Amino acid sequence: MDAGVIPISNTQLALSVILVLIAGVISAALRLELLKPLLWGTVRTYLQLTLIGYALTYIFNINNLILIIVIISLMCLVASRTAVRGAPCAGRYSMFLGFFSLWTSTFLVGTIVMVLIISPEPWYSARIAIPIFGMILGNSMNGIALSLERLFSEVKSKISEIETLLSFGASPWESVRDCVKEALRAGMTPTINSLMVVGLVSLPGMMTGQILAGADPQQAVRYQIVVMLMIAAAVAIGCIMLVLLYYKKLFTKEDAIAHYVLNHE
Amino acid sequence: MPEFFKFDQIEYHIGAAGRTVKVSSDLEEGSILVIKGPSGAGKTTLLRILARLSECDKGQVFLQGHNWLSYSPQLWRSKINYLAQKPAVFNGTVLDNLKKPFALKIKKDMFNLDEAIDGLRELSLNENLIHQDAHTLSGGETARITLLRSILFKPNILLLDEPFAFLDDNSARSVMEFLKRWLVNKTGHGIVMVTHNDIYKDISGIETQEIELSEPGVN
Repeated sequence: MDAGVIPISNTQLALSVILVLIAGVISAALRLELLKPLLWGTVRTYLQLTLIGYALTYIFNINNLILIIVIISLMCLVASRTAVRGAPCAGRYSMFLGFFSLWTSTFLVGTIVMVLIISPEPWYSARIAIPIFGMILGNSMNGIALSLERLFSEVKSKISEIETLLSFGASPWESVRDCVKEALRAGMTPTINSLMVVGLVSLPGMMTGQILAGADPQQAVRYQIVVMLMIAAAVAIGCIMLVLLYYKKLFTKEDAIAHYVLNHE
Repeated sequence: MPEFFKFDQIEYHIGAAGRTVKVSSDLEEGSILVIKGPSGAGKTTLLRILARLSECDKGQVFLQGHNWLSYSPQLWRSKINYLAQKPAVFNGTVLDNLKKPFALKIKKDMFNLDEAIDGLRELSLNENLIHQDAHTLSGGETARITLLRSILFKPNILLLDEPFAFLDDNSARSVMEFLKRWLVNKTGHGIVMVTHNDIYKDISGIETQEIELSEPGVN
């Protein structure tokens, strides 16, 4: 059995444009007006991934711990921007909380995976660390974004309950506890669902990639289990951190609901 | 002896134009202060400020001589209870709703079922209502149940926003009688009320005082 990667040549890569053309023809025939974004998207995919390919080769060769930390921190920064988009005051403070929660959960879980579970040589080996941290980050980001969005929509829809509780002397926490629970549930549900159906409905991308790269499916499965569990942990930690740090911001220093929460559309 | 409840030079702005409202008044123990004025005059905002649910620009409020800022917002609100025009009804039965505030950390004493049943009767509500799903109540029933919830919580001062809005005359009268007993039979109680209904004038034996918030545009 040939257990190596089957390389894709430049010609073969160019042929993949056929796939876009099929989608393009359908779009044009149905006047979906998707041709332009489709073509632009294709160009960007080629460019971005080619550049990332070079960048990764470079980073893997240097394999420097500080460089890896800087890169992952930068990735956290970009991700935190997306994660706090659902907040009505996407100010610096939101960004900071988002970044802090993402960074902490990602590094905590990622380091455990690197040091204790995969233990490459050296333990921070960029070839392992960058993809692992990337996967954690992508999922935490989505979880946090969902949680935060849900937190605000819950508080808005339950505003009269919250104010009634406040007017009886409830603490901020007592008044929004149910909303916080809902927000955490919203953030973690996709991850929990994927734990339930993984392997039944779809084969995860990482595992598929490993199999295509010639890995033994049973080894790929082991990796996938680690990845799924680390994602679940990171999403849970990230969501809890952010929501617990954030809920106080819904209130004024007088412990009343802040104006911006009420006016947010 | 310090005044029972007093707000001094409260200043706040309302509406898109940011019109400024200035108001001072006081409330004697066992009496009602009625806040009148056209809609948009800032009556609800005043009640919310007194409950520290909204912020004012200037001014101070005193309860039995103590400045409001000497209380935590939670302790203050447990003494000065604001009842919105449409207060929230929580999931569960009427009983669950009446008990709900007693689950809060600030509330030390226990819920008293007998008091709740007496209250239902005094508000001319059927006592079997207590096991009904609170979301199935009529508007008038909801108004009285939420009022009872506030009374059972034993605040010093009730801030009532249009308490008669969902009530017919008979129910409104029984609510007034109920409030009168609450004011007169026990010490340390007072009511600040926003209302367009003059029914409180029909009930003898309560001292009332009225203040008028000026019309929009007139200071």
